[in-house]
Amino acid sequence: MTVMTKMKGFATAAGFAATLMVGGASIASAEDVVLTMAVPDWPPTRIMKKFFDEQYKPASGNKVTLDVDFIPWPDFYTRVNASLTSGEKKYNFIVSDSQWLGAFVEGGYFRKINDLLEADPAFMETFKSIHPNPLNAYSTYPHKSENYYGFPQFPDVLVNFARKDIICHDEEQKNFQAKYNKKLPCTGEELDAMTWDDFKNVGEFFQRKKGDMLAGAPAEDDFYGIAYQAGKGYDFSSMQINGFIWQMGGNTWDETQIPNGQAEGVVNSPEAVAALEKYLSLIQYMPPVAKTGTMDIFKSDELFREGKVAMNINWIGLGEASLDPNSSKVSDKLVFGQMPGTMGADGKMIRWSNIGGQPFVLTTWTTDAQIKEAVEFVKWWLSSEIQHQFAAGGGQSAVKSVYEDPKYVTYRPWNRAWAPQLDWQKDVWHVPQFFELLTQQQDQFDLAITGKQDAKTTLDNVAKFQQNLLTEAGLIQ
Amino acid sequence: MSSTTATAAPPALMTLAPDNWKLAILVGLAVSVIAAITFPASVSFWIVGAMAALVAAAFVVNAFRRKYYGGLLVAPAIAVLFVMNIFPLLWSLGLSFFAYQSNNQSIRFVGLNNYIKALTNDLAAEANWNALVNTAMFVVFTVAAQMVVGFLLALLFAKQFPLRKYLLILVLTPMMLSVVASGVFFTYYYDPTFGILSYIMGNITGEQFILMDNKLGAVAGIVFADAWMWSPFVMLLVLAGLVSVPKYLYEAAAIDRVSGWRQFWTITFPYIRGLLMLALLFRTIEAFKLADLVILLTKGGNDTMTISYHLIRIANEQNKTSEGAAISYLMLFMVIVLTNLYLYLANRRSHGA
Repeated sequence: MTVMTKMKGFATAAGFAATLMVGGASIASAEDVVLTMAVPDWPPTRIMKKFFDEQYKPASGNKVTLDVDFIPWPDFYTRVNASLTSGEKKYNFIVSDSQWLGAFVEGGYFRKINDLLEADPAFMETFKSIHPNPLNAYSTYPHKSENYYGFPQFPDVLVNFARKDIICHDEEQKNFQAKYNKKLPCTGEELDAMTWDDFKNVGEFFQRKKGDMLAGAPAEDDFYGIAYQAGKGYDFSSMQINGFIWQMGGNTWDETQIPNGQAEGVVNSPEAVAALEKYLSLIQYMPPVAKTGTMDIFKSDELFREGKVAMNINWIGLGEASLDPNSSKVSDKLVFGQMPGTMGADGKMIRWSNIGGQPFVLTTWTTDAQIKEAVEFVKWWLSSEIQHQFAAGGGQSAVKSVYEDPKYVTYRPWNRAWAPQLDWQKDVWHVPQFFELLTQQQDQFDLAITGKQDAKTTLDNVAKFQQNLLTEAGLIQ
Repeated sequence: MSSTTATAAPPALMTLAPDNWKLAILVGLAVSVIAAITFPASVSFWIVGAMAALVAAAFVVNAFRRKYYGGLLVAPAIAVLFVMNIFPLLWSLGLSFFAYQSNNQSIRFVGLNNYIKALTNDLAAEANWNALVNTAMFVVFTVAAQMVVGFLLALLFAKQFPLRKYLLILVLTPMMLSVVASGVFFTYYYDPTFGILSYIMGNITGEQFILMDNKLGAVAGIVFADAWMWSPFVMLLVLAGLVSVPKYLYEAAAIDRVSGWRQFWTITFPYIRGLLMLALLFRTIEAFKLADLVILLTKGGNDTMTISYHLIRIANEQNKTSEGAAISYLMLFMVIVLTNLYLYLANRRSHGA
């Protein structure tokens, strides 16, 4: 045997071995590529899977399968976290909440994608056409740096879900005008122009007992004007409170200012305390479950769909169910607007809000063959045509050319609030300490929401904890 | 086989034989130490594991050759116990002396720091202590409620009455439901907008009723749900005791015109005391681990955080593995002390009787 044939033999064997290893998840011939994906179980991911199965034709001619694990939302973090930290290396793609980036990048699980973008100018161009706010939130670590990790799967913002039949009723309009000397918002544009004070008025105005007159008929049950998230679980109060704090001139701990940005004095600044007080002062007008600390985004959505509230601030991602007559008693009575804002000193509306939605990321153990197909898939996913289809099917797109298309607002009634809101989205805490920061803050906010302590004490406790933890971690010096 | 009666002599220390367990231990220890020093942890872990298996195999061959069949018969059980219980227990004990987070590859020896933090840090220790006090409170209330309700139910079902069989099945159903199902059921039951409890209370008092907006209500809600699920368990055990009391004792007592109260204390109670104690022990241990209902009903809000849920958050959600391990060991220590104290008291009372 010559050296050459030996080498050849070795190469064949190595190739064979590599095929076997690559094929760990895939089976049979070398052209089969399986991309395993962990996603939360809800319409935006179901639609993606459906589109993939029906339409996706890989350019390489390989047989690409998207093997999707649909995990219910309440378990999603626990399952993904367990899968990653146990080292089972099961998933190639993971839909990740934006704030998980730090923890899982530092842990060595999420793959940096700068090399993939640089290798493919067209891909880079599509990528850069994503609105900078979602791009920063979903993809960069450290936050707002040039290190990229994720692609938008389902971008999301908070919008105002409202009941036309209630708020546009003549009688109610007249009474509201008489009481507040202001027009009760009825159209989308009027909803957009609402401040939190207007929102409070709506809450106060529409508090009705069972049997009281409501939009020309006796109310079948107790009725409430407003609702937003105020729950202890996951991030179901922070995401709303952050918007209040930013709008009213306060700030959260700013990760772009590491290591000089402080928590104490910033997180509990007088502006932030006033903002939290404002948030808390509206809870009395909401369905009573808010007082128990369990009104999360799912509960307020359910109350809205059951017709118990006039206005609800919630994520677009939960919107599909409210339009579906099978799951909503108010499906044909809806109008949508931007989340209320705060009037600035210059008479311009300040609309800061915490971004929602999720990127999907590649994991570090994904093989070259899989990465090649994954990139092709992501390019296809972010292509104008598919993004349009996705938006028309109930998704959202952060790709500029797509959401700026005049057709875009016709897809769903809330889409009119989408583009203007994108400019006002911020995000928090892509740092590895995210989960500790979040659980402590949620516990403290819960104490405030359920009336156990005031806003000042709450934010003092949060600031003290954050200062302590982040100093220990070396992020504050 | 000629050697069925005589067992072979144990091999000398340095003989290479499959039953030479002393040599296996020596080799295993030496290889493990070398592997731990020279290889990275991910490799040496498996080498040490293989050495442990080698020693175990030597023990088995030795037992077979020396005809320790009793030992051989329990060996599989011991192996499973070791792999599934003892090894993870020791492993987490080791982890509790390191600074280790499961989502982070770095690991650093910190001695007793995790324990010191759990016991003295002004933020962490307070949260731990608070969760522990809440847990103790839940143990007292839920177990007391279950024992009383379960006991009374058992007294009821020990008698014969129409439809008893069907009612018994109904009463046992909560125990068979999954905790999640009953947790979700109770969230709706207590819900101020959709729930029947608030509806009925609202109609009686004319005011809005919100059960879960204060600590008393939240605790009552959790205790009620837990008692609803687990009273049937206590009932089953007590019922088994009640039906085992020989009828002639009651007949003799009736002839002697002994009062019902005295019958209960001198005949019935001695028969069911053992089972009552068993039910108490089981339910106390279970109540100490209460987390599922709390997660479903309050998420730990209204000061209902229990130590188990607190641990889940630290070890699983925040990935602070070693800190969680330290707290678990403190908990384990407490449970062992309490259980022994309890068993001691129970035994003393039964001897005294």
